[in-house]
Amino acid sequence: MISNLFTEHEFWAVIHGLVLGTLFLLAFGGGLAGLWSLSERYLTTEGVAERTPRLLWGTTLMAIVAWLTVITGTFIVYPWYRAKPPEGADLAMYPKFLLTTGPEKDTTAFWHNFGMEWKEHVAWMAPFLATAVAFIVIYYGPQLVRHSEFRRVLLIMFTLAFAAAGVAGLFGAFITKAAPVS
Amino acid sequence: MTSQTQDKPNGPAAAVVLAAGIGAFVLGLMVTLAVMSADFASFLDFSKNYGIGSGVGPLSGKVIIATAAFFVSWIGFGYTWRSKDVNFRTIFVSAMVLLALGFALTFPPIFDLFAPAG
Repeated sequence: MISNLFTEHEFWAVIHGLVLGTLFLLAFGGGLAGLWSLSERYLTTEGVAERTPRLLWGTTLMAIVAWLTVITGTFIVYPWYRAKPPEGADLAMYPKFLLTTGPEKDTTAFWHNFGMEWKEHVAWMAPFLATAVAFIVIYYGPQLVRHSEFRRVLLIMFTLAFAAAGVAGLFGAFITKAAPVS
Repeated sequence: MTSQTQDKPNGPAAAVVLAAGIGAFVLGLMVTLAVMSADFASFLDFSKNYGIGSGVGPLSGKVIIATAAFFVSWIGFGYTWRSKDVNFRTIFVSAMVLLALGFALTFPPIFDLFAPAG
């Protein structure tokens, strides 16, 4: 059934960019709201006990999804993107070369030379940062409610992880529009 | 909450924060060194040299080395600081500086400045 809908390349591109990307966004929203509101000013003891597991799952999910996204992107999809075409091949099957040597290279080369060159690297900062956040949430658990300084640190790192993934996701969408992996 | 009134040492938390900064900086460094030297870029091609990640090219080495730096420094600092309280503010600022350098060195207009002339 799936093989009728997508080629193998398209399937993995969808898993990498759309499925994992959406999960990352959802986990970020949940984690951010959880961290923001985890304060003694807002919560009773029961409230802290109720919210901590959700925060733990949200941040852990974000870290796991960040790792899965960069691993599938780098080791599964990226080799198809950068594959070198044989002489006379249809460049539509070779996105990097379509962008950099295709008929519209004057306008499309930017998507590789700037977009992909930045995206493929900066994306890897997201799992480092998201893992750090998840570990601290697991380590401190409900004690976090008393540490506003730690919560600020976590919010900064969590947002930077999202920013790194956001740059990668945004350029991924633009590049896919200009030269999809198909 | 009474059993949790005794705070845990902040060493393990500081270790992972610093490790994230180190991982990001090492990544930026690998990217820039690969631009500066074709030989170094060839070394980073772990797909060709070690069969890790078929067709990934030098990106394989960059991300594997950066990930190793993240985990090794996390384990190292985490073990060293496992029962200690450290100056978290200083560690956090250091990590943010490393992270900013890492971001800068992965930004194409900046790492392209290090490309050999011609």
